[in-house]
Amino acid sequence: MLRRSFLKFGLAGIAAPSLILRGAQATEQPRPGSPFIVTYFDVPEIKGSRDVTDAGDGTLWVCGQRNGTLGRFDPRTRQVKVISLGEGAAPHGVVRGPDGAAWVTEGGQNAIARVDDKSHKVDLFALPPGRERANLNTPVFDKKGILWFTGQSGIIGRLDPKTGKMEVFDAPRGPGAYGITLTPSGEVWYASLAGNHIARIDTETASVTVVEPPTAGQGARRVWSDSKNRIWVSEWNSGQVSAYDTESGSWKGWKLPGDKPRTYSVYVDDADKVWLTDFAANAILRFDPLTEDFNSFPSDRAGANVRQMDGRSGEAWGGESGTNRLVRIQTVKPA
Amino acid sequence: MRARLVALAMFVLAGGSGAMADEAKRGEALFQSCRSCHSLDPGRPGMAGPPLDGLAGRLLGSAWGFDYSPGFRQARAQGLRWDAERLEAYLADPDSIVPGGWMSPPGGLSDADRAAMAVFLLER
Repeated sequence: MLRRSFLKFGLAGIAAPSLILRGAQATEQPRPGSPFIVTYFDVPEIKGSRDVTDAGDGTLWVCGQRNGTLGRFDPRTRQVKVISLGEGAAPHGVVRGPDGAAWVTEGGQNAIARVDDKSHKVDLFALPPGRERANLNTPVFDKKGILWFTGQSGIIGRLDPKTGKMEVFDAPRGPGAYGITLTPSGEVWYASLAGNHIARIDTETASVTVVEPPTAGQGARRVWSDSKNRIWVSEWNSGQVSAYDTESGSWKGWKLPGDKPRTYSVYVDDADKVWLTDFAANAILRFDPLTEDFNSFPSDRAGANVRQMDGRSGEAWGGESGTNRLVRIQTVKPA
Repeated sequence: MRARLVALAMFVLAGGSGAMADEAKRGEALFQSCRSCHSLDPGRPGMAGPPLDGLAGRLLGSAWGFDYSPGFRQARAQGLRWDAERLEAYLADPDSIVPGGWMSPPGGLSDADRAAMAVFLLER
């Protein structure tokens, strides 16, 4: 029944998983006296290692955009499993679904890919005709288990994993839809990089309400909600991080330190600390909204280009897309 | 005999020109999905990527006023210029041409698609 539904609504193909196992080299960056431990893991088989997410069992999923792979990395054993997503694949974003599987915005095949967490079998859900080269970007699940996704060519879409039904809609103001997030209250928001705004999607009607950040032409790239329904925004053009309070409708913003910062990504951890990446500084930053202080974690290699972060309690993770590495920053709790 | 050769050459040239025009048209259509980051208008600021007008023979990393990555600044210092071969290779895997550059690989393009985009972008 499920398979028939998939076929009806556009299951594009099924790829047999291709697994490679290898041990990753790890490099710990000493930071004497610091409450943070930074560790880099080489994952050369995951070429262009970029978006990551917690797989729920101690491992992490990571997209290899440059060689069409999804990696499953276990930091305990330092082993990585490499899953081929198919011919021409170029995965961008990944999120763990309610079913435990990895759901991937697979731009190379213009499809949403589901990678089973047990068998690593790959199923593709193709975008409908007329939506070619959507430049798929980032996925998120809403509270009803519907997958929402963005495409930079100017689309938003939703996929019901239970039926395989997919709908794609024009984003307002044309190209640019980029990062996407779910608030604790159940709202879905996305950022438009080219459109210089953030927007809320009505998950029933798929209608969109645009909200303008106070800085004109800011380049809202990624978004992440904190526990208080505030949308944190990484602003690529302005070099700021800003926060929109969805309850009061108010904004606050902070410029990243340094000369001409380029704020690429934002992730808010379970303690409401804000993790940012700055391409100009080649660094990850941690921002504490309470003290308004930044901690900087420059990479030990040039051109690291961490394009997204995610994590789990006490650990922030990112993919260094320019060095084919993963980076983990652990926050050590005081004894 | 000579007239026939000239006519043949003109025919080939006309056909070739038409084929190039078709390629450029196809490249222009493919370029639509790049417009979320790139403009063909040098007067349009605030895009994530540089404007792509006048690309043929241009030094990498040299669009006026654009804030480039260190990778592109290094490519410019090396005197690298855009041509069809370099542009097609860049579209296939940006990091292989400009290590540490900020652009992600544009997905879903075949070799023929990249060639068509190069024709379009380099003729402007």
